Amino acid sequence: MITKSRVNRIQILGLLTPGLLLFGMFTVYPIIRLFWMSLCDMSFSSMLTQPYAGMMNYREVFQDTTFWTVFINSVVYTLITVPGQMALGLFIAILLNGIRRFSVTFRVINYLPVVTSWVIASLVFRYIFNTEGLLNYFLWKILGITSSNIRWLDTRWSGLSVAMILGIWKGIGWNMVIFLAALQQVPQDLYEAAEIDGCGGWKKFTCVTLPAIRGTILFALIELTIGGFNVFTSIKMITGGKPAHQTDTLLTWMYYKAFSTGKFGYAAALSFVMALSLGLLAIVQFRMMRNKNE
Amino acid sequence: MRTFKKILAVMLACMMLLSAGSALAEGEAVTINFWHHYSAQSAENETLMNVLIPAFEKENPGIKVNAVSHEWAELHDKILVSANSNALPDVARCDIAWLPEFQKMGVLVALDEAMPDFAEVSGKLLDSAMSTAVIGGHYYALALNTNSKIVFYNKAMLEAAGVEVPVSMDAWIEAVKKLSGENANGQQVWGWNEPALAGWNICPFIWSFGGALTNEDQTVATGYINGSETVKAIETFAELVKAGAITGFNAGDIPMTDGFGTGRYAMMLEGPWKSAELAGAYPDVAYGTAPIPAGEGGSISVLGGEDIAMFNSANKEAAWKFMQFMTSEYAETEMAKCGQIPVNKTALESETVKNADYAPFIEAIQTAKARPTVAAWSEMDNGLQVALHAVVTGEKTAQEAMDELASAWDALLK
Repeated sequence: MITKSRVNRIQILGLLTPGLLLFGMFTVYPIIRLFWMSLCDMSFSSMLTQPYAGMMNYREVFQDTTFWTVFINSVVYTLITVPGQMALGLFIAILLNGIRRFSVTFRVINYLPVVTSWVIASLVFRYIFNTEGLLNYFLWKILGITSSNIRWLDTRWSGLSVAMILGIWKGIGWNMVIFLAALQQVPQDLYEAAEIDGCGGWKKFTCVTLPAIRGTILFALIELTIGGFNVFTSIKMITGGKPAHQTDTLLTWMYYKAFSTGKFGYAAALSFVMALSLGLLAIVQFRMMRNKNE
Repeated sequence: MRTFKKILAVMLACMMLLSAGSALAEGEAVTINFWHHYSAQSAENETLMNVLIPAFEKENPGIKVNAVSHEWAELHDKILVSANSNALPDVARCDIAWLPEFQKMGVLVALDEAMPDFAEVSGKLLDSAMSTAVIGGHYYALALNTNSKIVFYNKAMLEAAGVEVPVSMDAWIEAVKKLSGENANGQQVWGWNEPALAGWNICPFIWSFGGALTNEDQTVATGYINGSETVKAIETFAELVKAGAITGFNAGDIPMTDGFGTGRYAMMLEGPWKSAELAGAYPDVAYGTAPIPAGEGGSISVLGGEDIAMFNSANKEAAWKFMQFMTSEYAETEMAKCGQIPVNKTALESETVKNADYAPFIEAIQTAKARPTVAAWSEMDNGLQVALHAVVTGEKTAQEAMDELASAWDALLK
């Protein structure tokens, strides 16, 4: 018996090793190396020596006014796009859950934005919101609501809003699919029981549907929060951080610092600040959802 | 099983033979790695691979050149990363803006110290272009090709507004204002386009107004970037922006080529590549070119272009031979045929250059200046953009913004 279990263990170990090795090489090692980078002075003047610099990079990040601008931008982006796409996705999922015919057609239509390339969608949005773009043409020349072109992309919040609209538009389909799958798992007898208790549509939604899909909501919330903080392509393509980095987000700013100014240490520290913020947020989100459960 | 083993044995034997063979061949010749960013499909790359490298290898039988093409931005990042892992090439063609960064990293060879015949070689090249390779009093590269910006103007728009091509800065201010407003279709038009607020864009104005960015040694900014001439240049620029006469740097603006090609921007300051772009996209637009208008500092544009640099790990003798070859009259004239503006003085005199599309740029190149050759330039440039943005939006006065910028730059220049 003992020999057999030992053989078993060796077998298991043998099978696990390749996976563990790859995981170690491509996930664990880069994280450790990145953390070390964030503690070193890595800029043009010190690229070859990379002396240990303690918390210097972290201090630089927190003292940088642009960091706070882009951090707030990322937070606002997440606060608006995550609930926005979840609510709309859930709404469409509920509608789709209620129909029998053309359900697949509508699912495909709603999912199309998800499979569209970020770059192309961003360029199209840029065309729409350009100062001489489609939207202004529509508002001014066709509807006559405005009397001049509005500079949508040229200020901080309006430029970010365009990226947020794109983010929501592109995210609805994913949420729809996730929530639709969850809705189909909710037992029908719960609804029947609620009806017998005299619940109306809204009551059924808040007392049966929402608690039943709480797990999915939490999953979507955490995934999308991470996604919100990771926004990059749309910002880079639509405003490029203009004007003067006021529409940059954490990732576009990190990219700029690393590859345009050679401050790899700063960028590494920034990525840890971001990872820690995301980790804390995830814990808070877990707590909130658990409390409701009890 | 047996046949499999046999095949394996034969294959292994073949591989050993092959590797032994190549080792023998390599024993004789030196191979130098040359990284560049001539795009893979371009005429420049064709010339490099099929004309220049064969000619060089014929002249220097012991040396082989392994040329690798990269994307522009990729090459910059690749050199940064390769410096870490000791995998740098022998020679690279670098954007002039990268040199100070690589120099600061300590990976470049100071050619004036390492090469006894440096003065003789660099003497054949244009002084203004060679100034892009001077960092802290030493030369870290040879100029390879250069460019600058001159004024492109829409002939029809200037004629319709009754505006002469501006020669002085005062005339330029008037012209830009006069050319702005609405066109016959009721669309807004602008006298001048400036696609960004970076040093590449604003330096020609600062210099032509008689201002400066730093002192000669590039160690102090206070008194230069916030000096009265510089501030006046920026004030003038910002006032024209506020008056609706200059645009192009906002995210929502019409792109430069489109706006110029469709008659929405009357004038712009651009490089030699714009001619080809306009010929491709807007062949019907009639435009002329002129030097940047002269202010108190003269007519001074900004230098662009590429240098060819040698890395510490290089086979120095072979690399130096290749660098000399690439900047020779022969190679520079060949590249001039593909639209690369030469820096070799003899090549500049050739018929190819005199008849080229870029001939109007040659004069501007003689007086043009390089942006500061310091490693912190990209950060300084970023600070400049942020400061200029604050001035054109009216958040700060030009003097306030430049005073703040000057102290920030002083810290970066230390």
